Amino acid sequence: MKLYIKLVSASIRSRMQYKMNFVFSMVSYGIVMMIDFLMLAAILNRFNEVKGWNLYEVGILYGISSVSLSLYRTVAPEIHEFEKYMIEGEFDSLLIRPVSPLVLLLSKNLDLSRIGGALQGMIIIALSLYHISHTHSITMLLIYLPVILVCGWIISFSLALVTATIAFWTQRIKDFQTFTLYAPFNAANYPMNIYPGWLKFIFFTVIPVAFINYVPMLFLLNKGGSIYYLLLPVLVALLFFYLASAFWNFGIRFYHSTGT
Amino acid sequence: MVYWHLFRKSFAINMQYRLSHLINNAASAIFGFVYIAIWTGVLTGKEQKSPYSILDMTYYMGASQCILWMTVFLTAGLGIQLGVRNGAISIELARPVSYYFYVVSQEGGRIAYNALFRSLPIGLIFSLTVGFYVPSHWTTLVYSLLSLLLAIGISLNIFYLIGISSCWTTEISWSWAHFIILTLMFSLGGQMVPLTFLPEFLSQLAKWLPFAGVVYYPVLIFLEKADHSVLILQTGWLLVLLFANHGITAAARQKVEIQGG
Repeated sequence: MKLYIKLVSASIRSRMQYKMNFVFSMVSYGIVMMIDFLMLAAILNRFNEVKGWNLYEVGILYGISSVSLSLYRTVAPEIHEFEKYMIEGEFDSLLIRPVSPLVLLLSKNLDLSRIGGALQGMIIIALSLYHISHTHSITMLLIYLPVILVCGWIISFSLALVTATIAFWTQRIKDFQTFTLYAPFNAANYPMNIYPGWLKFIFFTVIPVAFINYVPMLFLLNKGGSIYYLLLPVLVALLFFYLASAFWNFGIRFYHSTGT
Repeated sequence: MVYWHLFRKSFAINMQYRLSHLINNAASAIFGFVYIAIWTGVLTGKEQKSPYSILDMTYYMGASQCILWMTVFLTAGLGIQLGVRNGAISIELARPVSYYFYVVSQEGGRIAYNALFRSLPIGLIFSLTVGFYVPSHWTTLVYSLLSLLLAIGISLNIFYLIGISSCWTTEISWSWAHFIILTLMFSLGGQMVPLTFLPEFLSQLAKWLPFAGVVYYPVLIFLEKADHSVLILQTGWLLVLLFANHGITAAARQKVEIQGG
C-alpha cells in the first residue's frame, strides 16, 4: 500500500506539470457527459416517466453508473489500455519486477481528467436527490450512497479486469470492451425493467451491472424491493472481484511475449 | 487512378480485422436494443402524444445504428494529426496528388468496408429480431442512397476539418475537439433522440446544422418521414465544408513547420 501511494503520487505530480491541459480535459469531459444526460432529460421532460421511473429517479441511476465508471477510468487507465502491453510486448518489463504486475499497472498512471465525469455524475445525483427530497425521505439513501458508489466502482473495475485478461489470448480487447463495458454501462443508466428478458438475464448475471444501481434503488426509492437488496451490491462486488482476480491470475500464465 | 488504388488498399487493410469487428457488431446491436427498450418504455401508453409510434422508433434506432458506421465512427481526424505530429505531413503535402483526395480516398475505403462488414450485419441482426423498415416505394431507396452519400460527404469533411486544424493547434486540445465533435454528432445528429423531441428552440436550430445531415435526415428519408428538400440542405453543407477545407488545406501548405527530432 505504501509503495502504491508513493508510485501514484509520482504519477499525479507528473500529470500536474500540464495544469491547463488537465483543467481543460476535465471540464470538457464533464460537459460532454452532461450533454448526454440532457438528451435523456429532454425525452423524460416530454413524456414524464419511463416504466414508472421519473426523470430524477433515472437521474440517480444515471449518476451512480457515471460515477462508478469514471472512478474506474480514473484509477485504472492502464487496465483499460491493457492491449498495448500485449501488442508492444511491454508486459515483459512488469513481470521481472519484485511487485505484482497488477499493483504496478494500477500505480503506473492515474487519468485525473476522468474526475470530470465523476463530478458530473455527482452533480446529477445531487440535483436528483434535491427534487426527490420533496416527496420521499432521502436520509437512508444519503447514508448508503457511498457504499453503493464503492461497490459500483469495484464491479466496473472487475469487469474491466476480466476484459483485460482476455488479452492474454486475443491480444486485442478494444472490441470486447464495447461489449463488456460501454454497452452494459450505457444500459445501466436506465432502469432494468425496460429491457427484454434476455438482456436482463445478462445484466443480472454475467455482466452484473444491475447491482450497481438498480437493485439497491428498488428499495431506497420505494419501488418494491426489500432491505436485503442493500446487501446484494456488496456481495456481488466482493464475489465478482474475487472471480476477476482469480481469472487474471489464471490468464497471466498464458502470457507469451511478442519476441521483439 | 491513385485514389481508387488507395481506396482499395484501405478496404483490404480493414479486412484483416473482420473477426473482431464482427464481435463489435454484436455490441453495436446491443446499444440499439437498449435504445429501442428505452423508447418502448417511454412511449408505452403515450403514443398519441408522440409524432412517432413505438414501431417507428424501433425502425429509427435500427437504421441509425447501421448508418453510424458509415458517417460517425470514422477515423479520428482522418489520421491527419498523426502526420502533423511526426512530420510526415510535409512529405504528404509535397506529393504530386491532391492531399485532400489522398486522405479522403483512404477513409472512403474504410467506409466501404464498414458498410459491408458492420452496417449490413447490424441491419441483419435487427431484421431477424425486431424488424427493419422496408420502404413502400422504390424511389425512396434512390433518395436514401443519395442522402446517405451526402451524409458521408458531410461527415468526411467535418472529420477532415478537425484533422487539418491540428496544423494550428496542439495535439492535446485537438483530441478533445474530436471528442466534442462526436458528441455533437450523437446529440444534434439525432442518433438517440430524433430532433423533433428536443426542446423547441434547440430542435429548430439543430435541424439547420450540418450534424442533422449526418444521421437524422438520411434515416428520416429512408423511413419516408422527411421531405426530399432536406437533400438541398445536405448538399449546401457539403459545399460549404468542401470550400472551407479547400481553403484551409491551401493555408496548411503555407503553415507546415518541421518539428525536428
